[in-house]
Amino acid sequence: MAFTLYSLLQAALLCVNAIAVLHEERFLKNIGWGTDQGIGGFGEEPGIKSQLMNLIRSVRTVMRGKKKN
Amino acid sequence: MAYPSGYGAHGSKHRARAAPDPPPLFDDTSGGYSSQPGGYPAPGADVAFNVNHLLGDPMANMAVAYGSSIASHGKDMVHKELHRFVSMNKLKYFFAVDTAYVAKKLGLLVFPYTHQNWEVQYSRDVPLPPRQDLNAPDLYIPTMAFITYVLLAGMALGIQKRFSPEVLGLCASTALVWIVLEVLALLLGVYLATVRADLSTFHLLAYSGYKYVGMILSVLTGLLFGSDGYYVALAWTSSALMYFLVRSLRTAALGPDSMGGPAPRQRLQLYLTLGAAAFQPLIIYWLTYHLVR
Repeated sequence: MAFTLYSLLQAALLCVNAIAVLHEERFLKNIGWGTDQGIGGFGEEPGIKSQLMNLIRSVRTVMRGKKKN
Repeated sequence: MAYPSGYGAHGSKHRARAAPDPPPLFDDTSGGYSSQPGGYPAPGADVAFNVNHLLGDPMANMAVAYGSSIASHGKDMVHKELHRFVSMNKLKYFFAVDTAYVAKKLGLLVFPYTHQNWEVQYSRDVPLPPRQDLNAPDLYIPTMAFITYVLLAGMALGIQKRFSPEVLGLCASTALVWIVLEVLALLLGVYLATVRADLSTFHLLAYSGYKYVGMILSVLTGLLFGSDGYYVALAWTSSALMYFLVRSLRTAALGPDSMGGPAPRQRLQLYLTLGAAAFQPLIIYWLTYHLVR
């Protein structure tokens, strides 16, 4: 598999776009990954699931800018 | 004694401010030279004599000064932009190596089974540079190994009569892309497992770059001893690299304190370390098998 840097850039853009278009109401809430379902207190260990949800929310916030959440 | 006469002749030409046959540079800008502000022409005449004596051309001297000020301005701008992305001090820490460290580290990469103490030593909360601590990661070995790998790949392809200059660039960019992917995956893993230690991007880059040493050794053995030698060297360097990575990442992820945190997080960190280690033989094989047919 011969990669070029341009293909890496394309793949990264597509992945970030895929994370950014996950719809909050229709999809994430139905599988229990909504933003208001994750904060389980300020314990020491966030756990892998809440870290993932945090990551998805951050990517969406950064990529969407000032549009509606 | 043509020297003093030439000296005096230049001086008289300069005072007359009309230069019939000096070098072209001086001729073009003599008008501009006479319109310098301040007391520049008067003491400048004396300076011009000495400068003329030394450089042969005061306008060239001014041009050199102007050019060097432009160059330093450009250099400052580049440094400022670069400092926004990469901290030079942190990068310099990884290149503070010496020959003894490189030799011992290469030996450790090939045979890590007898090394006892894998902890990175600190001196007042600052990790010691690689010169003074064998366990500290560095970026010198990965960089050199990467370049050597690209050259070796070119040579191996040339032996198989499949060489062309584009192949070299393709090999280099492929290896670079795999490194970037692996560092990104490791960063994601470190974030998800909430490793609290100082495993920065450069640390992960250093640890993923150590596999190039194994790749070089495998390809060399494959070129010298054929396909069997390649597989033997591949097995040996893969297991050595896996052991090295597991031991180093375990002690690095635990951090300066040896408590480690609650059990699920430690298990996650263990999975991350094992996953990173298991990925190494695959990528070594993937990037080198087409060189040793």
